[in-house]
Amino acid sequence: MIGRSLYFILALLLIVVVLGLGLQVGSFEANAATIWDAIFHYDANNTTHFAILHLRLPRLLLALVVGASLAFCGYLMQAMVNNGLADPYLLGTASGASLGAVIVFFGFVPVSMAGLYLPSVFAFAGAFLVTLVVVILGYRKRQLIPSQMLLAGIAMSSLCTAMVGMLTFLSDSEGKLKSVIFWSMGSFERATWQLVAYPAVTILLALLFFAFYQKQLNILLLGSERAQAMGVKVAQTRWVIMGVVSVVTGFAVATSGPVGFVGLIIPHVTRAVMGTTGRGNLLFCAFAGGFFMLLCDLLSRVIYPPAGLPIGIITSFFGVPFFVYLLFKKNYNFRG
Amino acid sequence: MAIRTYTLAMNTKPMLLKYTILCVAAFILLLICGCGSNTHKDEAAARIILEDDLGRKLELKSQPKRVFAFASSMTEMLYAVLDTSTIIARTPNDDYPAAVYSKPIVSNYPVDYEQVLQLKPDLIFTVEGITPLDVAERLGELGVPVYYQKYRTVEDVFTGMEKIGQIMGREKEAHYLADSLRKEVSSMAQKYKNVKQPQQVLAITWKDPIYVYGQNTIFTDKLRILGAENAVKEVFEQPYPALTREYILKLDPDVLLGGSKEKLENEFFGLYPELRKIKAYQNNRIYDPTDNLQSRPGPRIVESLRELEGFLYP
Repeated sequence: MIGRSLYFILALLLIVVVLGLGLQVGSFEANAATIWDAIFHYDANNTTHFAILHLRLPRLLLALVVGASLAFCGYLMQAMVNNGLADPYLLGTASGASLGAVIVFFGFVPVSMAGLYLPSVFAFAGAFLVTLVVVILGYRKRQLIPSQMLLAGIAMSSLCTAMVGMLTFLSDSEGKLKSVIFWSMGSFERATWQLVAYPAVTILLALLFFAFYQKQLNILLLGSERAQAMGVKVAQTRWVIMGVVSVVTGFAVATSGPVGFVGLIIPHVTRAVMGTTGRGNLLFCAFAGGFFMLLCDLLSRVIYPPAGLPIGIITSFFGVPFFVYLLFKKNYNFRG
Repeated sequence: MAIRTYTLAMNTKPMLLKYTILCVAAFILLLICGCGSNTHKDEAAARIILEDDLGRKLELKSQPKRVFAFASSMTEMLYAVLDTSTIIARTPNDDYPAAVYSKPIVSNYPVDYEQVLQLKPDLIFTVEGITPLDVAERLGELGVPVYYQKYRTVEDVFTGMEKIGQIMGREKEAHYLADSLRKEVSSMAQKYKNVKQPQQVLAITWKDPIYVYGQNTIFTDKLRILGAENAVKEVFEQPYPALTREYILKLDPDVLLGGSKEKLENEFFGLYPELRKIKAYQNNRIYDPTDNLQSRPGPRIVESLRELEGFLYP
């Protein structure tokens, strides 16, 4: 038990360190003292202070929140379908969001309306619609069948990807292709304090809710029949997980694009570190996801300044070797 | 041989098969005759060796008579220099000069090889970055050489114009046009030679993510002629680098090009409200250049300079 608390403290510490480092990287020169000043003695006329407080900090927080959201949802999905290959995009969220955003970029609707930036709105709507279709297809005998949902998700993702591909191919402008790249690999450059608020509030609420639900989740890992026998309402639990995952992933994707791999790998890391049925697993998973995403964002900006590489590239580059290591580690197994 | 097949077929096979065999035989015969006469002609003609701006060597059978361009800017160049009857096609994006609409459309992305071969061009002109090199190689294998030009300065465009003239036997016309344009450019450069504080100009090409005209584009040279500077000083590998909000905040440009004030208010500053701090926004120096004029390095480059001049010195 003491070991696990130590891991929590370590994760928090690492997050604070990377946040501190991340605040120093950018076009304006800034050291620890400047950052201290910007936060505690903010001078509205100082552009460096402005950049630190209104550009860098929201960006880092968005990375943190989105990383946490995706890792959290990945953990839930893996528990729900009882399969270590599951990730939050299994419901078709990522490709649905891409399709929604791309529809706006290719001129079918105006880019902004009544002060709303429509690509994000459409991305959210796309993610939600596709998830709805997947749920309808996965609904049999008055309950959600995970294997059906898996297949429906794959099919819907392929369909959306094909549509994005078609729109991209028929596009007449190179600029639009750049937007498509963004919407297939993600970025945190658009972060503002308002934008961070949506995914931050959702993930906090979701974490709070699942603090009381962790036990059911662990029992679900034993398989639906045994879980049922142990008094867990399996059908109901699946609905709850599905609902939470679709909303949390939807906000993450609508603000930052579909960043890959975090939702797949971090849950495995969590189980490797904390054990398969640890009590604080979901919370730790969120912390680890946030930390990993922060680190990847920092690396992307250090490697390729100023704009940074698309974040999905970095998460895969640094995530895959670690994942492979985990797979070969003897004492780790999906079901513990 | 064909006749023998024919008689044999008549005796033993049903009618349909008989005719098919006859047709195929006749077609093969025709093909052989056709090829033979072509080879003779080729050998008789003198060959021309060209080297394009990318250092690719091209071999032409004779002076080209049927040409077209894969880039809209290049089509404008061809119209300015050539006898228009030698231009045989246009791409779907070409819209200037108006006469271009009378030419058949050829798809440049993706390239329709069959369509290109059907048009029987002697040479295709294009601009670096518009046509992929592997497409040019494939067309070369199919007997249609592709000639690339690249421009880093306004002067490069005029030299390019003269090179087209040389290839197409229109040296005089090309040289005359290039020289008159050069004169206009140099008088503009003279006028703004002594500008004390050059205005820092940022031109965006895409809003989400933000892409801008980099230092190594012809746009930088246009600004130099007009006594202004590209706000982006750092040289990136790409001609149109992606920038962050923070980078732009640091550049703090005097003038922002990329769309009307209303449009940018909605689609750019609405998305990046932090950028309202830049001087260009504060002083209302936001302009909307004509896209097909600024983005095409062609004979209308002086016209594009005039437009920029209007923005810089209102």
